[in-house]
Formats: sequence, structure tokens, C-alpha cells
Amino acid sequence: MILKRDKKQETRSMTKNLVSIFERVSIKPILLFSLLLALFSLPSSAQPNCELFKSQGNLKKAEACEKCYELKGLYQFSKEFQTILDEALEIDSTFAYAYRAKSVAYLKSGDFIRWKELMDKAVEYDPEGMLGYRGWCRYQFFRDYEGAISDIEELDRLVDGKIGYSATGEYHLNIAKGICYSQIGQIEKGIEIIEKQIREQKHFAGLYDYLHLAALYIETHQYEKALEALKQQEEEYDMSESAYYQSLALLELGRKEEAWEWANIASQKYDEGRRMHDGYTHPPHKIYRKDIDELIGKLQIVNGPSTSSGTKIEDGD
Amino acid sequence: MKTRLLSISLFLLLIGCDQTKNKDQDYLRWIGDIPFDEKMDDQEFKLCNTEAQVLQYFNMEKGAVFIGEKPNLLNFFQDNFRVEPTAKQSGWIRIRFIVNCEGKAGRHRMLQADEDFKETMFSSSITEQLFNLTKEIEIWPILERYEKGVDYYFYLTFKMKDGQIEEILP
Repeated sequence: MILKRDKKQETRSMTKNLVSIFERVSIKPILLFSLLLALFSLPSSAQPNCELFKSQGNLKKAEACEKCYELKGLYQFSKEFQTILDEALEIDSTFAYAYRAKSVAYLKSGDFIRWKELMDKAVEYDPEGMLGYRGWCRYQFFRDYEGAISDIEELDRLVDGKIGYSATGEYHLNIAKGICYSQIGQIEKGIEIIEKQIREQKHFAGLYDYLHLAALYIETHQYEKALEALKQQEEEYDMSESAYYQSLALLELGRKEEAWEWANIASQKYDEGRRMHDGYTHPPHKIYRKDIDELIGKLQIVNGPSTSSGTKIEDGD
Repeated sequence: MKTRLLSISLFLLLIGCDQTKNKDQDYLRWIGDIPFDEKMDDQEFKLCNTEAQVLQYFNMEKGAVFIGEKPNLLNFFQDNFRVEPTAKQSGWIRIRFIVNCEGKAGRHRMLQADEDFKETMFSSSITEQLFNLTKEIEIWPILERYEKGVDYYFYLTFKMKDGQIEEILP
């Protein structure tokens, strides 16, 4: 059984270090993400540095921390896993890591009540380390956009903008915040936040950053900008969604022949399984077979019945 | 039909909230496990494997999958969920259940929270509908592990806004 325990502080510093290393060796972003995701999945990465607590003279926390060594090899849903964490909390009831580790099984089983109770405790005892994670989960698992924004913005104030990445490593939290704003009707604000983050010199693009941005450009009728963003997206990770939104933008610009071609590319990539994916939920701007079929149907109507037979379609009709 | 609705109402009144929630010191095998309860569960629903082998939907690494993809599920609730003008509550409602190796679902349980994730009770006009509609879905994806059909836990979380379904997760 795969254990996928989470962490925060180490993740942030590891991410920064890796970005720095890979920037120096010019590694491809997609490879960088694969490596990051692999690292984030390692069980050992979840364990806080117990020696640090000792060196700070916090012996109770160090003891609670060392108790968590017993978690190795246990599944996070199991009673053994949860019991060890309870024992760690009996040693030190302010050990934020234990609350967070306990919360994961509740999160993944959809128990938002118990999950939130545990994460509230984690945030209470380590706001800087836990707010970003709670905010991300509120977005990813519950579409609690307002709650996610609130957590990320509070973290931003606490750490002077150095908010880091999602628990999955795929999104800078500013990108997630931008998406959240866009989902509560503040699309322009969402775009502005995402654009600003992408312009940051130290930003390394997430798997879907440009795709989300392109989809938001399309929603706000900025089709040329959408095409530009999709070019960037193709360099990061080429998938059905990028071809689909490319087709949508081209159609709106009256470039029907290209729109037709991209719609078919979207269809082909979809069948090949090159799609947006989240192991637990469905992200915003993900598309489905139905969306592609509707787009192709629309293009057939717009372009006439000759489209499907391969007859050349004149742009700007 | 009336009898069915009455029994469902009684059932909801009885359970009120998720019965799988245990005190921290009284864990089941896994967090979220739903033991069979003869008072509320369909005797006809059978697991293909043992209780100890029921997995989580994401263990098969396919993510959340749906028959006819997710839009099919969204359409089903959009077409069949009737908004009650007097029930304007907001928050989250989760219905968790087991899908067996034949794609049949059973042992449904409900959990309800307000917008602050505090336990609450939605109007029965909302919960009954969501519960009944979820149970009406006859077939769920059949998932395999090592080429063998598995039983797995799945759930639907309804994000409710002013008594309307705003989103369905996962």
C-alpha cells in the first residue's frame, strides 16, 4: 500500500533547493515535476526533524516527534497509524504535524468535519507550516474557494509572500489562489494573480498553469492571449485540454480550419489518455469526451457538412 | 412510493449523521469504514471479497471515475434534484458507500456540515433527495487491482449553496 504522507516546511525548502539546482542545469520543467512528485511521495519526507526540537530544548515535542518514527510502513487510514499519532499527541498536544498526519485519512475519505477539526488544531499550533496545506486542501477536495483564499492570504501575510507550493507540488499557491478567485466570479482578479506569479523570475511553471490561464482568457474573450498561453502550455505538458482550448480560441477568432484540426487533435489525445489528471478529484478546466464531441459538432455546423470529409475550409467564412 | 419515502425519512432521522465516525480511541480497520448494519443496510448487497479487502477508490490510481464520465453524473442530479424554495441552507453533504466488484453500491451513509465545516442537519427535503438519487444510480465503475475485481469505498460530496447543488465532488 502506498503511503503518501504530507509535509510542509521541508517541501518548501526542498522545492526551492531543487528549483535552484535544476535552474542551473536547465532541466526540462516536466522532468522537474516528475522528480518533485516522486520526492513528495516518499514516506520518509513526512517526518519532521526531531533533532531540531531537541536543539531548541523542546524535549516534549522531540519525544512526540520520535514517536512518529513508528509510523513507518503503516497505511495512513489504519488504526495503527492513527493510534501512534494519538500517542504522540498525548506526549505533546501542540505537535502540529501529528494533527495534520491524522487529518489526511479523513480528507481522503471525504470526512470534512473531522478533517477540519484536526487541521484547525494543526494551524493553531503551526500557522506558518499548516495554513498553505489547509488552504490547498480546501480548494482541491471541497471547492471551498473562499476558505482557500483566506488561508493562502493569511499565510502570505505571515511569511512575507513566500507561500510555496501545493501539497501535490503541481501548483504554486498563488496560482491556486488565482484559480479560486476565478471560480467565485472574480475572473479578472484571478487572471491578474496568475499572470503576476508567472512573471516572477523564480517561478517554475506548474503542469497546468498556462492551461488555467488560457481557459480564463477564453472566458474573458481574450483569445489571442489564450493562444499565447497555450503555446507555453504545450512546452510544459501537452494534453487534450490544451488542444481543446486552442480549438475554442481559434473558432472564436474565425480561424475555422485550424480550429477543426485542433479539435481533432484534442480528440486523439483524449483517446490516448493524455488528459488533466488528479488522483483524487477533477480539477477546474478539465474536459471530457462530451465537451470534445460538442465542439466537433459545433464546428461541423459552423463549417458545413463538408468538414468531416476533409474538404478544405476557408478561414474567415 | 410513499412507504419507501417514509422508510427513508425514518432512516435519515435515525442515523442523522455518519455512523462511521468513531471516537479516536475506537478506530475500525480503516478510517471511514462502514460496517454492515442490518437495521439500515440492504441484505442483498454483497461484497465480492472480504471486509478487510475493501479499498479506497484512489488506491487503484485511476482517480475518481464515473460511468459515462463525470458530466453524466452532473446531468443526472441537475435533471432530478428539485430545489426547495424554503430550504436555503449552504455547506457540504457527503454520501459515502461501497461499490462491489459488480459495480453495485450499498451501505450508504450521510455526513452534513455547514459552511464552517461544523456538523449540521440540512432540511430533509434536501438530504432525502440526495440520498435517494444517489441510491438510484444502479451501476458504478468496476475497478480492478491485479486483474481482479475489487470492492471499494467511494463518495459523492455535494457543495450546497442556498439549497442548490453548486458542485459535486470528487
